[in-house]
Amino acid sequence: MLIVDIETCIGCKICEKVCPFGAIVVGPETKKAEVLDNCTLCGTCVNACPVDALSIERKAISEDEIALFKNVFIWGEWERKGEAIEIKNVALELLGKGKELANKLRESLAVILLGKDVKHLIPILFQHGADKVYLCEHELLEDYSTDGYTNVISSVIAAEKPSIVLYGATPNGRDLAPRIAARLALGLTADCTGLDINRSRQLVQTRPAFGGNIMASILSPYTRPQMSTVRPGVFSKPKPDATKTGIIEDVDVILEKISIRTKIIEEIISQDEGLDIEEANILVSAGRGIGSKENLQIIQEMAEVIDGTVSGSRALIDLGWLPHPQQVGQSGKTVSPTLYFALGISGAIQHLVGMTSADTVIAINKDPEAVIFDVADFGIVGDMLEIIPEFIKIVREEKEKSQSV
Amino acid sequence: MKIVVLAKQVPEADKIAVDPETGTLIREGVASILNPYCEYALDQAVKLKNDYPELEIEVTAISMGPPQAKMVLLRCLELGADKAYLLSDRKFAGSDVWATSTALKEGVANLEPDFDLILTGKQAIDGDTAQVPAETAEQLGIPQITYGVDVKINNKRVEVKRETEKGYQILSAKMPALVTMSKGSNIRRIPSMRDVCIARDKPLETFSADDLNIDEEKIGLSASPTQVDKIFAPLSKTGGEIIDGSEAKVAAKKLFDYLKENKFLSV
Amino acid sequence: MSENIIEAQKIETLPFEELKSVKGEMIISASYPSYLVDESKISGGHAEWLFFPNNEEEISSFVKKMKEEEQMITVSAARTGIVGSAVPFGGAVLSLERMDHVIGLGFDEEEERWFLRVEPAISLNEINDIVKLKKIEKEKSIPQDKNWVEKFETEPTYYYPVDPTEMTASIGGTIGANASGARSFKYGATRNWIKKLRVILGTGEVLSIPRGKYRAVDGKFIIQTAGEKYLIRIPTYMMPKAKNAAGIWAEPNMDLIDLFIGSEGIFGVITEADIWLKEYIAPMSNIVFFKDENDAIDFVEKLRSSESFKPEFIEFFDDKALTLLRNKQVEDPKFVNIPKIREDVLAAISFNLDYSEETLEKCFDEISDMLIECNSSLDDTWCAYEEREIARFKHFRHAVPEIVNNIIAERKKQFSEIHKLGTDMSVEDKYLKEMMNFYRTKLKEAGLEYVEWGHIGDNHVHVNILPRNMEDLKLGKELYKKFAKKAVEFGGSISAEHGIGKIKHEYLKIMYGEEGVQEMRIVKFAIDPDCVFNCGNIFGREMEQ
Repeated sequence: MLIVDIETCIGCKICEKVCPFGAIVVGPETKKAEVLDNCTLCGTCVNACPVDALSIERKAISEDEIALFKNVFIWGEWERKGEAIEIKNVALELLGKGKELANKLRESLAVILLGKDVKHLIPILFQHGADKVYLCEHELLEDYSTDGYTNVISSVIAAEKPSIVLYGATPNGRDLAPRIAARLALGLTADCTGLDINRSRQLVQTRPAFGGNIMASILSPYTRPQMSTVRPGVFSKPKPDATKTGIIEDVDVILEKISIRTKIIEEIISQDEGLDIEEANILVSAGRGIGSKENLQIIQEMAEVIDGTVSGSRALIDLGWLPHPQQVGQSGKTVSPTLYFALGISGAIQHLVGMTSADTVIAINKDPEAVIFDVADFGIVGDMLEIIPEFIKIVREEKEKSQSV
Repeated sequence: MKIVVLAKQVPEADKIAVDPETGTLIREGVASILNPYCEYALDQAVKLKNDYPELEIEVTAISMGPPQAKMVLLRCLELGADKAYLLSDRKFAGSDVWATSTALKEGVANLEPDFDLILTGKQAIDGDTAQVPAETAEQLGIPQITYGVDVKINNKRVEVKRETEKGYQILSAKMPALVTMSKGSNIRRIPSMRDVCIARDKPLETFSADDLNIDEEKIGLSASPTQVDKIFAPLSKTGGEIIDGSEAKVAAKKLFDYLKENKFLSV
Repeated sequence: MSENIIEAQKIETLPFEELKSVKGEMIISASYPSYLVDESKISGGHAEWLFFPNNEEEISSFVKKMKEEEQMITVSAARTGIVGSAVPFGGAVLSLERMDHVIGLGFDEEEERWFLRVEPAISLNEINDIVKLKKIEKEKSIPQDKNWVEKFETEPTYYYPVDPTEMTASIGGTIGANASGARSFKYGATRNWIKKLRVILGTGEVLSIPRGKYRAVDGKFIIQTAGEKYLIRIPTYMMPKAKNAAGIWAEPNMDLIDLFIGSEGIFGVITEADIWLKEYIAPMSNIVFFKDENDAIDFVEKLRSSESFKPEFIEFFDDKALTLLRNKQVEDPKFVNIPKIREDVLAAISFNLDYSEETLEKCFDEISDMLIECNSSLDDTWCAYEEREIARFKHFRHAVPEIVNNIIAERKKQFSEIHKLGTDMSVEDKYLKEMMNFYRTKLKEAGLEYVEWGHIGDNHVHVNILPRNMEDLKLGKELYKKFAKKAVEFGGSISAEHGIGKIKHEYLKIMYGEEGVQEMRIVKFAIDPDCVFNCGNIFGREMEQ
């Protein structure tokens, strides 16, 4: 229930302006906020109220009420590539997993798509399994903002009552999901690596805890929807079906400038195009064992001869030797290349969580006890600064040979 | 100006191990430390204090945790916080993200209601959820900026350089606001003997749920929407072939053969 | 009551054919080269036999066989020594590596102290791991009918406090060397922590020597073996009043066990040791900075004369060492967790105190006064009491020798003959300042590159000369000898902790004179008449023949 503290309310009408459902009005005579029957408890007004006169009291919901929540939703995150807007891989990965869950529940799969001009993404979403797309277009949604996106998604969720909502655990996903969870007083499980439905039709969310040393299965039995964030690269992208279509629901977005409390002042792109380590097929990753900045040259050369991309462990990023978009690990990116070279990386758990989904791991380290060897498919105990240059030589020689033939 | 730093006590990350037979955590000999990201937040707060002397910044560290978490607050005081509050109560036990952020919200709202800025770590190295800061901000009804690497104050606004997937972004928000820190200076500060001495004279108080008038139903395990169903050991990938690399040439050739055999190299 | 006659006990021996061993110089140098070198990196080691015993019976059998074959035995385990004691020059290598177990745990009710009984090749790291985490099987109480192990579990944390930096060293090796390290400032060297030893002699018999039972009478001991009586005359030279690991221990009424501790294995093989354990008190680690070396030395003198506390160790870094560390910080990712050292700092002192919230303030007040008198203050310090930070400080302290070794390795590429010249000398307390001045003046005069750091609490600073060419090496060697003479003059030792081994014979003569060394040699031949064990350690081999 949305409660108005009449004593505190000053009748400023901000709540009226920001409510996506027109469910709160300031009475012409009372000059105080009044809640109407169509309130969905989306919480937008509570955040907007300048005098903290609004609060929501949420009661635990009964089993019957739980049954009213249906369908699996995902957030359709996109990114800019130059001028173009493209759907993020993780959103497609979520569609694959979401479909599986929806099928188990015999429910449908929908995408909440926010932005300014993003209609062109809809066919891709259908082709990857979406049955429905909630299209929320608005001038103020052109760039991601915590407040704008939280308000819109919260109101869609409050109105549509899905049973499950999934987000990519990208920087923006991790910024957004907990905000929505707190607004709607929901459970949220971070960085899931496994999602399944149990016999009680509950979402079983599996995630690594304590740096991946143990796995925990988590349920949200008494609240709906059940929400999770999922690390990119953990689930696989479904095969697109070019013939598949679905329903588009145009959401009437009500969003005011005052609702968005952060302003973008500057964007600094430090990543070269084509250096996206999340997308790379082969990664050559260096760690502390590299010794000095000059030796990065060897890593670059290595990447060149095997058509790979350079990445690094946290130490190199902290020293400013590599830009942070190239960091693999807990505080960097999760990568899932087919081939991963860990050169002079000891394998701290914080690094391992970022790369264990690589298909094949090659490790070179001086320390035979280095943990990285536990996850390596092929390991060399030795000095990479000696071995890699030799390896580069061999590859170049072989390449010349094959060209001269 | 008042800055609140939310700090968490965590077990030292690389020391955590799991008993392979029972699947339980081995806590023996594992020290507790101030979450490194929270330390960055504290460092940032102290830096602001030095950068803007005219703002007369006062830094308050707040933590929720068992009584031993006093040690991490003591550390905050050594590293430059002016005072510290510990929210400690058996009633907080078993809190998930939501219940934790409820307790922190109540703590901040009761103990430091006229704060201007909250700084905290982007995540804790034990839970790694990175969710508590945003949920706390939402509960306090203030804007948030996550993954900050540098913070400036500009009039009544906070300006934050934050990490994005492709580089950085500079965002500003009107204060009061909450900012999470993802990085700090790579050379750590270590307190001096003077800092250690002075910290022990600074105020460090403990508050229970009752002290803060927090409704018991809103906190702890029973107020947590998520519940741990079970805990198990991860499937461990067993290591593959390990060769001796003392002869660089030989090792390089073996690596070449391995990659060729597995069709990673076309030559 | 103590006595001066000890009887050697017979050990059941096994037919030699049943024991596994490696024979042949070629095979050993090809397949077991690591048994021919140790951390001294001296070259030319070779051996005809290699043996890995599991117990005293096997050792005894092997010793007898080697005596028959007229082969000398070099005892070896972790090979972490830096004076070449474990490097064989012919004969047999007895590698104790399989004897690396904890035998038991006991409580000495008279002394009210816990002790651990171990085999010789267990490493110090392993001992501390087992003791700190109390990983001892129940049936290992000494004696078995007392359930000490169970009682120990309810005790606070204990450990073995000797820390000679290289914690992979074996306990046997550290007893042979009377190893010390930084913490000996407070706890003394290995000698203080040995309660009992078992030693196999050249006859294949074993001596069981508990501390306190056998004491010299009229400067003599008698060892009764099956065949004959060995009469041992204790050398008459005076031991220095400073930390010392040079030559054998000698005092008129000494305990027999002390003759064996620090004897570099020349009398026999240690097969078992009872070592005292100490309650672990978390330390508080401090590093303080000075703008002048003399201020740092003044501070050391004040610090060690405090009546209210005693640091575990007091370590020194000169400006050169600090420069090496500063340079390392900008290029080595492993140093990101250590703050920058200010440019105007020219000396640093590192010391550990027991961590206690109760006494902290009083203690710091006292130190504050000392620092102010030495032109520094509590602000110019780093203080750590968290485990991880203490570990970082330790890394910081240990980084200097590592960097120096790397520099030398690099120079070796140009001049293969070059090696570092590291002193290991101590002096009496009152001569600390004079000795430090002597080092500095002479080094500057000679125009040599050098770094100084180390155990200043024990007046035992390691001066490391880094020769840039052969001329430097020659100059450095001459200077080294001058330093040795001065150290002896100042009542100190020419080897405070590394020992003599196979490379410092000439300095031993400087310290004890020809006569002193001759007296040691007499003891050696009294206990090991056939010269079975570790020939070449302490005295040159030419002297023994």
